[in-house]
Amino acid sequence: MSELLLEVKDLKIHFFTDEGVVKAVEGIDLKIERGKTVCLVGESGCGKSVTSLSFLQIIHAPGKIVSGEMVYYRQTPDGTTWEIDLAKLNPKGRKIREIRGAEISMIFQEPMTSLSPLYTVGNQIIEAIRLHSKATKDEARKQAIEMLHRVGIPNPDRLIDEYPFTLSGGMRQRVMIAMALSCNPTMLIADEPTTALDVTTQAEILDLIQELQQQYGMAVLFITHDLGIVAEVADDVAVMYLGKIVERGSVDDIFNAPKHPYTQALLHSIPKVAMKREDLEPIQGMVPSPFRRPNGCSFHPRCSKAMDICSQIVPAVTAIDDDHTVQCLLYEDVASRAEVERAQS
Amino acid sequence: MSKQAMSQDKLQESVPLTMKDDSYLLEVNNLKMYFAITRGIMARLGGYTKAADDVNFFIRKGETLGLVGESGCGKTTVGRCIARAYEPTAGEILYRRADDTIVDLARLEGQILRQYRKDIRMIFQDPYSSLNPRMTVFEIVSEALKVNHMGTQSEMEDRVAYLLKRVGLRPEYMQRYPHAFSGGERQRVGVARALVTNPSLIICDEAVSALDVSIRAQILNLLEELQSDFDLTYLFISHDLSVIRHICDRVVVMYVGKIVEVASGLDLYMDPKHPYTEALMSAVPISNPRLRNKESRIRLSGEIADPSNPPSGCYFHPRCQYAKDICSQEAPPLRELPGNRFVACHFAEELDLRGATME
Amino acid sequence: MTQKQPQHTRDPREETKSLEIEVASQWKLMWWKFRKHKLAMASAVIIIIAYAIAIFAEFVAPVASSTYSKDYVNAPPQWPHFFQPDKPILYVNALKFETDPNSFKKTWTIDEETEIPLGFFVKGDPYKLWGLIPSDIHLIGTQDPQAPFYMMGSDALGRDVFSRIVYGSRVSLTVCLVGTTLSLFLGMILGGLAGFMGGWVDNVIQRLSEILTTIPTLPLWLALAAVVPLDWSPLRVYFMITLILALIQWVWLARVVRGKLMALREEDFITAAILDGVGQGRLIGRHMIPSMLSHIIASFTLNIPGMILAETALSFLGVGLRPPVVSWGVMLQETQRVGAIANYPWMMFPGLAVFIMVVTLNFLGDGLRDAADPYQ
Repeated sequence: MSELLLEVKDLKIHFFTDEGVVKAVEGIDLKIERGKTVCLVGESGCGKSVTSLSFLQIIHAPGKIVSGEMVYYRQTPDGTTWEIDLAKLNPKGRKIREIRGAEISMIFQEPMTSLSPLYTVGNQIIEAIRLHSKATKDEARKQAIEMLHRVGIPNPDRLIDEYPFTLSGGMRQRVMIAMALSCNPTMLIADEPTTALDVTTQAEILDLIQELQQQYGMAVLFITHDLGIVAEVADDVAVMYLGKIVERGSVDDIFNAPKHPYTQALLHSIPKVAMKREDLEPIQGMVPSPFRRPNGCSFHPRCSKAMDICSQIVPAVTAIDDDHTVQCLLYEDVASRAEVERAQS
Repeated sequence: MSKQAMSQDKLQESVPLTMKDDSYLLEVNNLKMYFAITRGIMARLGGYTKAADDVNFFIRKGETLGLVGESGCGKTTVGRCIARAYEPTAGEILYRRADDTIVDLARLEGQILRQYRKDIRMIFQDPYSSLNPRMTVFEIVSEALKVNHMGTQSEMEDRVAYLLKRVGLRPEYMQRYPHAFSGGERQRVGVARALVTNPSLIICDEAVSALDVSIRAQILNLLEELQSDFDLTYLFISHDLSVIRHICDRVVVMYVGKIVEVASGLDLYMDPKHPYTEALMSAVPISNPRLRNKESRIRLSGEIADPSNPPSGCYFHPRCQYAKDICSQEAPPLRELPGNRFVACHFAEELDLRGATME
Repeated sequence: MTQKQPQHTRDPREETKSLEIEVASQWKLMWWKFRKHKLAMASAVIIIIAYAIAIFAEFVAPVASSTYSKDYVNAPPQWPHFFQPDKPILYVNALKFETDPNSFKKTWTIDEETEIPLGFFVKGDPYKLWGLIPSDIHLIGTQDPQAPFYMMGSDALGRDVFSRIVYGSRVSLTVCLVGTTLSLFLGMILGGLAGFMGGWVDNVIQRLSEILTTIPTLPLWLALAAVVPLDWSPLRVYFMITLILALIQWVWLARVVRGKLMALREEDFITAAILDGVGQGRLIGRHMIPSMLSHIIASFTLNIPGMILAETALSFLGVGLRPPVVSWGVMLQETQRVGAIANYPWMMFPGLAVFIMVVTLNFLGDGLRDAADPYQ
């Protein structure tokens, strides 16, 4: 059994806008084990990116972690493990800055948003290395070249003095990965890292992340809307819809024994290379506005298996087996839950 | 320039244009689109980006032709040349009119071109930037009717209401502005706009790429439905191989401004004849975790070629694992193979290439 | 086919609630967004009041701009008092002369004993509103026409500074509008040409505007203004000055127009309009101008303060407008005399007026600029 690296319990993130409160993340539980790849999958606006940003405490105003825990099991070099609740840390404090970028680092969809156009590639990687270690400039430069070499950049000793805008999209993403891995993180958050890339480049970057994961033994939290990518890289999958994890399980469970109607519908709505025409079954309707979250199960207006009760009761997390859970009334013993609630009141 | 155009017009009058086959709706011959690169303050010419270079293909009436390739391969340029958003540098775009006469769209201009704009319409990628935020849905959809004087106000209203209903929107939404709609709904408005002039050919330029998975499937199904109901022919431009496979009858693969392969969907995916197609197929993520076997993936070395400074010979040769000497010296022409398919590779017959992984 | 027709039904309650925003035009959306910008809203109110004052200057000013009194030279401000018990409701204290027994210097002091009652809509100097409607009613004034009332003091000729600021607003607040409108006209045409035609036209216009911006503005103004003949009528000088200001200011507006046009040309909805068969005229008038109008209005507003400052600076330096024209710059020119500021600080009130207008116009422009694109 592998060890736990990060455990999220009942995390809630709300955005307090002029038009009202947007409940971007509404009570999610998630476990990430060391060295494993977890995929957070969902459509735009489901809260998957916000969740990942919250691990680093870099949610922008007016967003706020309202409640919940994010326990990070930090290992010191002597082998002892500390529990740190990331949700409680001050976003500007020393502690989170020690973790951010060093132990948990992140890569984004568009590398140019996180690479400065004013500094050379080398400058930026060297700075990242020196921020979190005591390396001298020369040592850091050597490390940077070594990193660039590892992420498959040809002529790293020449490219280190180039500016990011001279590079192609795929090369930039490699540089970003080199930067993110320069401090040997225990976890890499990859937020749609291949969405802006071409299919052949995407395949290369996915391979690269997996290769490096094996070398460094880090955990990867992979955020994507592309189920094809999930099938390629994930160990565990969490499917999000409107701020909730509606289903969680191993990649095999999700693809071959999906339980939640949303997961099933998603799988049916993607065109596959080997599929005949007319097999596509889209999900009806659209994701509701975050200001108008449906009552009960938030998926019920679009659900083909919706029952009357779905508009009244918010489904609880139900275990299918050890590591496969679903939030759907189809699998919940609603009667017994009502009894329990009655007994409690 | 004008002299030349005049002589061409005369030519057009004297010799009627023909297509290679009666079933073709559109035939593109030797299409070239070069963009000048200017440098410095005085805008000196610094060379050309050959966005589309000697492109040849045809579209049969009623079919969906896919145009696939990676960014910068020129697929969007080709689409925009056919829609005549661009003026092609050279080449022919033959179009068969309803009365079976043939015109060369590449040579038309001004008022004459305008009447063909009704026949060939376009659906754009970005549902946000393709709708003018300052116009109502009615104004957006009816604009083509209005400028072409096709009907009175109430006729236009009826037509827009009918089309909105047809694409799955409520006709009452006509007076709303685009900001009232989600991305998927906006794309439906874009579809209605394309349909409003009763076109015969619609160019879908990455029409579903910016949409969420569930919405994407809705729009794909809608497009298929409309195709049979309105007798439409589609040129479907996309980088997404699974979408192309789903919706297209035949597929054109482009690489750096040139066509490398044309084949029916099934042939292309199961039995590619060009090494680049093979690499594309092997890069598609397989949505079944049980079929993971990364060793079989073909990795392309190097970067996509620069269309303003392409390599010699076959543009793909520096990245091709099967490349031989001739590949760097001689550019392979697009030639026909048995089975009604075309390929631009010297060794198409000898190579045994792998298709997409089946599930 | 198994596919269901996509349904787009929504809760009817939400329907009515959200309907307003869904059919809101760009101006409505902009107004909603602008409304949230409190500072800009407050500034807009102040600016509207200021222009109202300029329009009704004869009525608002207690006396005519040329009315002088040799008895009340350099008199200090008499602040109006309100609602004192046992006294008239609105009054000012009279002024009295005091001579320092040692230096024999004459100074004004406020006579706390005497009250001069004030009133609204009182009879005073006769005038013709906009040169048309004869009247002698003033918004505020002394009930006894002979009594002194200098809310912001008087100048070296015994003229009421407040009245002159009110009259001066007419020139100062219109010269900038006319000037900015002229530069907008130039900017739209040149920027429009550059943005729409591109190529060498763009190149020439770009270089021209670059050359213009490299010339230090103040010396250029001075040089141009110095050419204006001294014997020209005040009206001609006025238009000459606005023209001079416009000749330099158009550059900024041209850049806004050009940049916006360049960006618009790349927009898909413009390509879509071309593919609809829209002709050049309609493309510009129906599709492009509406998309940039709000940005142009915002830039227009942001350009006005610069014009106000420019007019003031020119007049202050004596090369702009000249007496008998009353403008804030002309009034400030009088503060150049040595000791004026030390002894008669109320002479600086026109400067305060300039300051308030520049600040509020900037806030208004910021608010408009933020609201200009309500679709984000």
